Amino acid sequence: MRTTTLSRNWLGAMLVLGLIGACNDKDSPATEATGTVKLSFSNVVGTSPMVLNTQTYTNPTGENYTISKFKYYITNIEVSNGSAKATEKDSYHLVDQSIASSQSFTISMGVSNYTTLSFLLGVDSTRNVSGAQTGALDPLNDMFWTWNSGYIMAKMEGNSPVSTQPLNKVEYHIGGFSGPNSVLKKITLTMPAGKTLDVRESKTSEIKITADFARWWQNPNTITIATLPVCTTPGAQAKQIADNYANMFTLTDVVNN
Amino acid sequence: MKQKLTILSLVLLVALSVTLLDACKKSGDDTGGGPVNPGFNPTYIKLQIPTGWPTPSFDIYATNPLTEEGFQLGKKLFYDGRLSKDGNFPCASCHQQFAAFATYDHDLSHGFNNAFTTRNAPGTFNLAWMKEMHWDGGINHIEVQPLAPITAPNEMAESVDSVLFKLKKDTTYIRMFKAAFEDGSINSQHMLKALAQYMGSIVSSNSKYDKVQRGEATFTNSELAGYNVFKAKCASCHKEPLFTDNSYRNNGLPINTFFNDFGRMRITGLRSDSLKFKVPTLRNAALTFPYMHDGRFITLGQVIEHYRSSVIPSATLDPLLNGGITMTSLEKSNLILFISTLTDNELTSNPRFAQ
Repeated sequence: MRTTTLSRNWLGAMLVLGLIGACNDKDSPATEATGTVKLSFSNVVGTSPMVLNTQTYTNPTGENYTISKFKYYITNIEVSNGSAKATEKDSYHLVDQSIASSQSFTISMGVSNYTTLSFLLGVDSTRNVSGAQTGALDPLNDMFWTWNSGYIMAKMEGNSPVSTQPLNKVEYHIGGFSGPNSVLKKITLTMPAGKTLDVRESKTSEIKITADFARWWQNPNTITIATLPVCTTPGAQAKQIADNYANMFTLTDVVNN
Repeated sequence: MKQKLTILSLVLLVALSVTLLDACKKSGDDTGGGPVNPGFNPTYIKLQIPTGWPTPSFDIYATNPLTEEGFQLGKKLFYDGRLSKDGNFPCASCHQQFAAFATYDHDLSHGFNNAFTTRNAPGTFNLAWMKEMHWDGGINHIEVQPLAPITAPNEMAESVDSVLFKLKKDTTYIRMFKAAFEDGSINSQHMLKALAQYMGSIVSSNSKYDKVQRGEATFTNSELAGYNVFKAKCASCHKEPLFTDNSYRNNGLPINTFFNDFGRMRITGLRSDSLKFKVPTLRNAALTFPYMHDGRFITLGQVIEHYRSSVIPSATLDPLLNGGITMTSLEKSNLILFISTLTDNELTSNPRFAQ
């Protein structure tokens, strides 16, 4: 009798525990353990930190300019080590030089040791054609073209005495997501030699990345303000700049805590 | 006694299990992640596809479930001048219901600070069947369409930020956004989705033509003759039942050198798209004069005359218009009578779409 009661109670207890387990599974489909990765972006121009408005820079063809806006989308982030790969869900981030808090953010990734970090510089074509978005993709962020639907993937604005535009403006709004006009760039960065990104449960590892605006001017395409002070439509010129800025990122360090 | 206790404990365990399962279900359903919104209990509605019409190739409500609350909020926004900088230019100022949601008797519409727009305002109906908007197709989704007129300096001249600031101060909007959207917040995404719910619901399918198709009315002899002219000479671009194939074509108009508007080429950057514009629907055409992308023709007679005698040859001219369209004067007048049967008075007087 006693045994029966006990076994019945155990049965019930297991049923409840099983249900709790099922519930947890439903809430977080990734049953594997996850840790936190912090991505920190440091915007620079050559060897100098980027300073908006007040700092004059010189491009490789000797043209002086200042920068008033510098923003770009980092999306579809994934880390990999060849065998294991982890991706961030709903992965959309806007790095804005004028907003310090936008320059680093944390993501959740499966526990493992990773050797590479990849992301899309820009917004994937799906989100460009899916109607009103929110968060980093909110049109309020001033990165959405209202007359030719689509996101500006990366934006630089500033001034240069060489510019023939009103108020000597320099404006590069680089976008285009479809067909031959696509400026989407998948960037893959490797952890420093001898290091891996070690993601551990309830710990935060940090990846430090610099984005060098000076790379927008050359390699493979030489861009001059005198000939191209403004580029605000998808097309060949936007693609030339995008081919250059695909090289602007450097993974400088990884810190495992 | 012990047996009774066992049964009691089992009952309690089952009750606990059911509660847990229920909690599980609720947390699974609550994907909004925002604060609990007790005001959200929407009435879901369906876009009615008129008999004999194709199912839209693209479901504009796939990620924006159509609700009565969303529709009503969208309607209020559509008629609200606060979406413009000075309060004078709601969406409805250029999209007037009595003109089938085009601007009545205006080649170009008026915008902020006495500015003219640069193109003729099209009637905003049957948009659920239109994948791309604008004469040049530059807008790729109905939800992002309103961003263009709201922010254009010669139209509503406002920033989305400022519109939201105004809406957030209005208790009616606070209540209506909560009724229409699960997390209830007033943000750009919800505003645009609500506008899409209203605009996409405006369907014009009750003209005399439609009634003839349904066997509820008959054409006069002249209208029927005009319908036959239409089918022979117009229907390849103005395809039934929507009376457009939503393609972009160069219809041989000389360029207006003031605007230098090359149409679709501005969007695609392709020379082959030079001077191509979206084929407009002929539905409600009798109400949506003036015609063409810049409103250069006042009457349907002038439009047909262009196709008969004034088509300008060019590299991108639509091949169907090589040499223009041959038509007798009788065919022309019958065609105009047929096009008049495409006027939908139920659309223009429907209180559901009215302010």
